[in-house]
Amino acid sequence: MKKFKFIADFEGEEKYLNQMAQKGLHLKKYNSLGVYTFKEGKPKNSSYRIDYRQFPNGAKFDEYCTLFEDAGWRHVYGTPRSGAQYFLPIPNKAQDGDIFSDTESRMGRYKRFATQSTISFIIMLAYFIIAIPKDFVFFDIRSLYYTEGLWGMTGSMFWKAFLFETPFVLIRVIPLLVVGYMATIYAYGAIKSKSLYTKNII
Amino acid sequence: MNLNKLLPLTETTFYIMLSLIEPSHGYAIMQRVEELSNNKVRVAAGTMYGAIDNLLKQKLICEVPSNDKRRRVYTLTPEGSEVLKLEVGRIKHLVAISENLVLGGN
Repeated sequence: MKKFKFIADFEGEEKYLNQMAQKGLHLKKYNSLGVYTFKEGKPKNSSYRIDYRQFPNGAKFDEYCTLFEDAGWRHVYGTPRSGAQYFLPIPNKAQDGDIFSDTESRMGRYKRFATQSTISFIIMLAYFIIAIPKDFVFFDIRSLYYTEGLWGMTGSMFWKAFLFETPFVLIRVIPLLVVGYMATIYAYGAIKSKSLYTKNII
Repeated sequence: MNLNKLLPLTETTFYIMLSLIEPSHGYAIMQRVEELSNNKVRVAAGTMYGAIDNLLKQKLICEVPSNDKRRRVYTLTPEGSEVLKLEVGRIKHLVAISENLVLGGN
């Protein structure tokens, strides 16, 4: 089962996953565009914990997961490059109820998330600029149609030419919308996590 | 680099570096910190990983070869030992002056 949700703070996301687990929906996968994949099962009282970290290689990532496992936390989802890392306590294994023991490290994940979001935002912004169709004037849909004299035509001749070109216009404009959406998400994530970090550290 | 700039260490970092006089891996450090602090200081997994990462970046600890690639073993570098010594000196001074000023009156 897939659900779309965009949550920029980890505490809120942990709460959301716990609520889903109470309904019998357990996290299987997540991607940074906001799509959660759940598998259905028995309702459970879970206490998810989320860290945010990327790894230069698989070996470092293995070491990270092993440390958590030794300390009583099962790595539920995350890849070396995914950033968000999801954990659940291993039943009957001693662990301290949290994966962070001080405010600085608990907030450090927001700092890393803000840095990564800023980088992703800049990349998306560059793609956005590249994806702008030739001669496009923002908020003027007419500038997306390249058929000469189109807007001067009338009657069935206009509709024929208009409908003929519309699929091409969509092809030109969809990448722009997707990349624009992603740039917005990353900008929002960067600003929100930066402010959460600053508020809690100083 | 002026090692004094790294002082004072946080209590957690101090305990972690103290544990790393003997080479050990992440989870072993967590247990050692608990033991050294009489169960008063517990370092959680995420905090521990971040601390190791920072100490490696500051070159105060380094990896030593071991068989278990999933549990890498670390120990203090010469700079790390030096920082620890400087910190112990700093704390000694604090203890010495406070013994006179705070406890010395009676």
